[in-house]
Amino acid sequence: MIAAENLTKTFRDRKRGLVRAVTDVSFNCQPGEIFGLLGANGAGKTTTLRMLATLLEPTKGRATIAGYDVKSQPQEVRRSIGFLSGSTALYGRLTAKEMIRYFGQLNGLAGKKLQTRTNELIEQLEIGEFQDGRCDKLSTGQKQRVSIARSIVHIPPVMVFDEPTSGLDVMTSQTIMSFIEQCRSDGLTVVFSTHIMSEVERLCDQLAILHHGKIAAEGTVSELQFQTQESAMEKIFLKIVNELEEDNV
Amino acid sequence: MFKNSLSLIVFKKEILESIRDKRVILGVIVSPLLVTPLLMGTIFFFAGKRAIEKRQATLDIGIVEQQPFPELTNWLEDEETINTSNFPSRDEASQAIQGRTIRAAVIISEDAQEQYNANRSAELDIIFNASNENSLNALGRMQGLITKFDKFALNKRIQLKSLPESFASPTLVETTNIDASESAGALSLVLGTILPYLIVISAAFGGIQTAFDLCAGEKERGTMETLLVSPASREEIVRGKLYTILLISLIASFCAITGILAPLALGIDLFKDLIGDQISFDLLSIFWMLLLVIPLALFTSSLLLVISSFARNQKEAQTYILPFISVVLLPAILSSILGAESSIYTAFVPVLNISLTMKQIFGDLSEPLYFTISLTTSILYAIIVMRLGTVLFQREQILFRT
Repeated sequence: MIAAENLTKTFRDRKRGLVRAVTDVSFNCQPGEIFGLLGANGAGKTTTLRMLATLLEPTKGRATIAGYDVKSQPQEVRRSIGFLSGSTALYGRLTAKEMIRYFGQLNGLAGKKLQTRTNELIEQLEIGEFQDGRCDKLSTGQKQRVSIARSIVHIPPVMVFDEPTSGLDVMTSQTIMSFIEQCRSDGLTVVFSTHIMSEVERLCDQLAILHHGKIAAEGTVSELQFQTQESAMEKIFLKIVNELEEDNV
Repeated sequence: MFKNSLSLIVFKKEILESIRDKRVILGVIVSPLLVTPLLMGTIFFFAGKRAIEKRQATLDIGIVEQQPFPELTNWLEDEETINTSNFPSRDEASQAIQGRTIRAAVIISEDAQEQYNANRSAELDIIFNASNENSLNALGRMQGLITKFDKFALNKRIQLKSLPESFASPTLVETTNIDASESAGALSLVLGTILPYLIVISAAFGGIQTAFDLCAGEKERGTMETLLVSPASREEIVRGKLYTILLISLIASFCAITGILAPLALGIDLFKDLIGDQISFDLLSIFWMLLLVIPLALFTSSLLLVISSFARNQKEAQTYILPFISVVLLPAILSSILGAESSIYTAFVPVLNISLTMKQIFGDLSEPLYFTISLTTSILYAIIVMRLGTVLFQREQILFRT
């Protein structure tokens, strides 16, 4: 469902010259699976996910989402994904309900279908009591629920989460984590990035450790545990990254 | 206008958000419709009142007679609009002006009487203080009175020489205003100068807040990424946003026109003192002006969209606004200086061309060639900048600048 092949992204920076943000990243993720991208800040996680979401165009390599090519069929790709990140926000002057309807309309829903789906999400995510409240007046938890509704209003087969719990409190993070698990149970293909080890341990079926834009290691959590002879995710991560740094020296 | 419904969806949502923005409502609707007319009315009211007071006030004038010149001094003393007082010397008169006990003084030269009697010019010197507005006003009034005295004295000299009255008037000038309109001509001229400038400014600046909010603001708040990941293409997003800025700019312009013309057309009491009766407007002229505003507003809206797309946040967008202000303000100011009958090359200068065409419409000056070039080039410039805005919006380096 998600197939990335040698995804590479370079850009020019006035101070640093040619910067390789992501180099030859390849992975596959199937329906009902969660694929995690683990890495420190600046490792290339967001750039990779932005390429998958067609926000950035790959300099090299290719990726397909639900069978659509990110370069040549960006609109179809965007119709097939739900995107949620910690930094995405809501339109403050729209109500929760208007927000859901707006993204439903952008995704091609209209009339009765749009109304039914909006009401369904309002009920499912318990948005009812604040559905007519302006988004800028909502609590963080309420905003997050509206964000979730916004991302799945069109029932996408693929979900992309870019550090979705960043900056959230424990309770709200739990809502997001449960939502990601629910996506897997519903048979969606899920890719998500994080730098929080506990999230990886809890959620990921497959993961790739990204370091300086390259995949340093890939596999299931138990495969990486076996490979590094470490049990804690934090230690696994540090061991792999440190070994890579030593090799580079 | 909307190639497909996604642009329309974006447009509708942006309009909904804009009309819920108090800053937009205040700046685009409330201020031009209520605050501007009130402000203008207040200024005109007090300015008019002050002008009347100035004309009617009795002025304290000093007279320094180095030698008696009763023909003039008696004449001045008989004038009801001034109070005269005698001073022994020029210095004392100057001190009185500085001390503001008198506003100006007439110094009569030693041989004034002698020169006057010999049918020559009697030398007078009016002293005043240019840094004092009242003293400056007194100078004008005194010059007027002396001119009146000259006429009186001249008539006397003519009578003594048994010459006809026309001797002192080699020509007899009469003026006839051929403007058939009932409205005050001077006011129409003032409106013709101010209105185009005001319409251009309101069309250009009315959309600033919206433009900054729609692009730079979205980047700042983190909603841009959410929108970009939707199925709407970047071109559709740009179009939806651009038409929102355009509509807000047009509303701003319309409100500015209404805010000025409506009180005049309705003959509100506050303006009656200024214009006399009601002023009438040709509806066709207003239609042509509104037509001209559209390409102008599209041009400035596209420029604003370019600035807003480039900026990382609203604060940064505000720092980029200076070149935009220059691009709009300078031609607009120039249009109020240049006459309506300007060279044809000005029809190619963006903003200036629209402004001057409006001036021509107001001045009942029909220039079809100028109008056509002006409208065509403005549409062309608007399309070019609109395309530039779309291209910039497609660029990752612009959208994800950090």
